[in-house]
Amino acid sequence: MAVYRRSYSAYKAAVTPRWSRFTVLARYGFSTLFESRPFTAYAVICLVPFLGALVFIYVVHNASVQALLNVRFGRPPLIDNSFFLAFLGIEAWMGFLLTAWAAPGMISKDFANHSIQLYLSRPLSRAEYLAGKIAVLATLLSFITWIPALLLFEIQAELQGGGWGWQNLWLAGAILLAATLWIALISLLSMAIAVWVRWRIAATALMIGVFFLLPGFGEVMNVILRTHWGKLLNFPYVISLIWAHLFRLPVQELGMTGFNQVPLWSAWACLLALCAFSLWGLNLRLKAREVERG
Amino acid sequence: MAAVLQFEDLQIKLGTRMVLDRLNGSLSGRCIGLLGPNGSGKSTLINTLLGFYKPFAGTAKVFGQSVQSDLRGVRSHIGYMPESDAFIADMTGVRFVRYMAELSGLPAAEAMERAHEAFFFVGLGEARYRKLGTYSLGMKQMAKLAQAIVHGPKLLLLDEPTNGLDPEARQRMLELVRTIRDAGETHILISSHLLRDIEDCCDEVIILKEGRIAALCNLEEERKANLKFLELEVNQENGFLESVRALGCECASFGGGRLKVVLPESIEVRQLYRVALEHSVQIRRMNYRRDSLEDIFLRAMSDGRESKVATNGRL
Repeated sequence: MAVYRRSYSAYKAAVTPRWSRFTVLARYGFSTLFESRPFTAYAVICLVPFLGALVFIYVVHNASVQALLNVRFGRPPLIDNSFFLAFLGIEAWMGFLLTAWAAPGMISKDFANHSIQLYLSRPLSRAEYLAGKIAVLATLLSFITWIPALLLFEIQAELQGGGWGWQNLWLAGAILLAATLWIALISLLSMAIAVWVRWRIAATALMIGVFFLLPGFGEVMNVILRTHWGKLLNFPYVISLIWAHLFRLPVQELGMTGFNQVPLWSAWACLLALCAFSLWGLNLRLKAREVERG
Repeated sequence: MAAVLQFEDLQIKLGTRMVLDRLNGSLSGRCIGLLGPNGSGKSTLINTLLGFYKPFAGTAKVFGQSVQSDLRGVRSHIGYMPESDAFIADMTGVRFVRYMAELSGLPAAEAMERAHEAFFFVGLGEARYRKLGTYSLGMKQMAKLAQAIVHGPKLLLLDEPTNGLDPEARQRMLELVRTIRDAGETHILISSHLLRDIEDCCDEVIILKEGRIAALCNLEEERKANLKFLELEVNQENGFLESVRALGCECASFGGGRLKVVLPESIEVRQLYRVALEHSVQIRRMNYRRDSLEDIFLRAMSDGRESKVATNGRL
């Protein structure tokens, strides 16, 4: 084909490796998201806690800066597992809002005008399509959760010295695992909701509702049925329970009541079940064609 | 030449309904028409070739590759233009087509180049930076064609490509299909309700009825055969029929001076005039009879059983 000739010819040159096709989805996903100025602004705001924590660690370890700023710590604040859990918690919730904003748009546009069939008519499987979309969320969330957290860990280790890094290496593992669980959970759940609720605003509202209204329903269930298993509908509680365990913190320290009411294994089971349920929902709905029944 | 499409006892069941039932056949035309009334399974067949529906039994092959066992390989050869709307509304036309080209495996630079070329080819060059959501129906159809051909597929599946187009746009769409066909590098499967569209573009036709193949017809052979098939009207037969038979023609009389004659390759029409002169017979009308696709379609619909519809010039 040539523009000036306006004729047709087949393409016979080399093609990209098949495994790399999902990265095209990710690339276009990023570029579409960052076309929105409010989204870009919010993504930048998500890095503010990191900058704050960075400055805090620096000041804590620098007496001359403390003197300059006229800051006095009665007792030097401890940069420990509580600090990193708090930092990760703030970033995780900022990431949640980012996901609730971004994920529905990424999927609903493909379903709104049936372009999903164009994706799947190409040498691209449903799993690769999903991988491409999730890669966008996972990369964004990584840049505001575990990557800055590990950077802070490294800076703290350097400034503290005395083998602090080696002694607390488990903390780096905890940061990575905790963030990965969170990313997997909210990515899969947001994608599943977006596939089922194709109206973008409704999908965002439902995502927020699942995390903030469902716990209320769980508490009502607890009161009516005189049980404590309704806590498992409180996903922020469930993830906090797992994080507290990963960060080796007593759950009471996190300032939430009722942490001892459900066992840890049930929190893990709930988390895995939620991920599996989201995958099942995606598998049911993520199709080029709906099969007519009857 | 290897078959473009092959079906062996292909059955597709959706829910409890058998939508395609024991399809058998092989198609190797450059441009294949897929005809049938609503609900006959045309779109289901296309969806099966794309791997959207899994066969309940039997196999379907594209260029010898099975859609069950080598779906990626099959899809890498295919360009698909769906019947329904299929676009991302807030993307510019050229970006959308480039995106689709990259998903088909074209490197970014080539994808960009071919996206522009495809847009100019379909006549939307000036509109390529407009968002797809602002396109008219005809422009959306053209954009769908552009994304289907941008990666230069070996097989182009067009599902109702002229749907909703005004006569001028329809002609342009058919012209584009013929151009792609004549380039000789791409096979085309067109599903359409419009017999005229199929007749204009296709050299082979598959007609579906209630999920079965009602007819497989090679239009090219049909056209060639019909060139030697004549319908005559004479004022009196007067030994004319016998003399025509003596020339080596097949001949039949239907009364009232109406005759049907099949000319062998070696006989020229002027010899019929000579015989008529010898017998003082006036030839008042002479037509090359041509089985229109409509005839073939209606025959297939009324027949109801799988058949190889081809008159082959026999009476």
